[in-house]
Amino acid sequence: MSGHISANLPENLQGACLHQRTTSMDILIPFQIALLLLTSGDAELMGIIGLSLTVSLTAVLASLVIGLPMGALLATYRFPGRTALIVVSNTFLGMPPVVIGLLIYLLISRSGPLGFMGILYTPAAMMLAQTVLVLPISIALSRQAFESLNGEYAPLFQSLGLGRFDRIKALVFEARVALLTIGLACFGRAISEVGAVMIVGGNIRHSTRVMTTSIALATSMGELAFAMALGIVLLLVALTINIASQLLRQSFRNLGHDV
Amino acid sequence: MMSERPAPDIIMTARGLTLRRDGVTLLDSVSAQIRRGSITLLLGHNGAGKTLLLNCLHGLIACDAGTISGPPLARQKMVFQKPIITRRTTSAHLRFLCPRLDDAARHDWLRRAEMDRRADAPARMLSGGEQQKLALIGALATRPDILFLDEPTAHLDFAATKFVETMVCQAHQQGMTIIMTSHNRAQAERLGEDVLLLDSGRIVETAPADRFFSAPSHPLAKQYLDHL
Repeated sequence: MSGHISANLPENLQGACLHQRTTSMDILIPFQIALLLLTSGDAELMGIIGLSLTVSLTAVLASLVIGLPMGALLATYRFPGRTALIVVSNTFLGMPPVVIGLLIYLLISRSGPLGFMGILYTPAAMMLAQTVLVLPISIALSRQAFESLNGEYAPLFQSLGLGRFDRIKALVFEARVALLTIGLACFGRAISEVGAVMIVGGNIRHSTRVMTTSIALATSMGELAFAMALGIVLLLVALTINIASQLLRQSFRNLGHDV
Repeated sequence: MMSERPAPDIIMTARGLTLRRDGVTLLDSVSAQIRRGSITLLLGHNGAGKTLLLNCLHGLIACDAGTISGPPLARQKMVFQKPIITRRTTSAHLRFLCPRLDDAARHDWLRRAEMDRRADAPARMLSGGEQQKLALIGALATRPDILFLDEPTAHLDFAATKFVETMVCQAHQQGMTIIMTSHNRAQAERLGEDVLLLDSGRIVETAPADRFFSAPSHPLAKQYLDHL
């Protein structure tokens, strides 16, 4: 890590980055570094934060687009294979990210079935891995939310003669606050993930390096204070998104949502 | 469930409706004819099967046996005892109930219910009476052939009850068929034209309302009226 982002820090903090390899870390140094990193507007750091957000938000969006209708379908209709689908989806909830990374790697590596796409070690591969990682969360949580709402609304929807598509559309709309929480849960899982993106992204500087892989690299190089500072930056990013969602939730509460 | 065309003055016919759940017979060979443009009251003690029969007639619950003939679901509307309200504004909820209603008509219905000032309020934040009024105008605005009302004035205050009864009377005068349940004898006498008395999932008396209330023929009907 020394030699790029940390090289832009003041000398005393650069020294701290290296010095703490051998001595105990001053607890305030990571906070100082984090503050400096954020205020310096370092292009590489901003690029890493931008890529982290792009990859994770895209993965969350994709998982919601696929997962919400699936969750609604599982919650509202009985069809052959439904139970098997729920079991598989729930199994993937507990799947270690590195295993998912490995599976995606095997799929998109040159000799894999999707090797022709040539996306290994690109942000697209990272998005794919994170989508697969958070999709089960999106399906499981949305199924739970939709089941509860469907129990409440089913007589009304039936009385209004709504078809399958209109029911799911109405349920998704009624569940919009719960879906915000689901989106946040998915985002939390995606942004904090390191194993899968490391395997399929390769942690290539200026290309596929994200916050978590940067932290892993800094830690492996012994730059603990710097790694911790990056962790604080990551936490601040997550905090900002949560504050924004809380404000949105407040506006939903004003519409009579039970949040 | 087989459907057949009813006689011209009969809008809905039920024959031999039977519903069992967990070995218990909830509706037992219920047969009834609903006159077009009438207000028919389903009466009976709690657990007699009034709401179940209402749900079966409306098509919300499939019976194990029996047939129902009547207008299609799109020409029927139901107001539930506890209104089911979406997480939208009052106006948006009304739009959800009647998507074809234009803005002016929607505003007019809200004004008639004295809720036009609450149009932008969250529908779930309305009082119980206001929610019931919203559900009722949402059903009436679509001008259905049959309106099912499940104890529409339960838990409502005098003003809200009066509004519901006025709207029901107006709809009836316009030719709408109304099938409702009630535990309120005074209301039943005010509104009812035909009465079906249920007991333990069976119809024990069918009669014009005035005759039912003045000279019930079945012992269970007399007993029911004594308790009402």
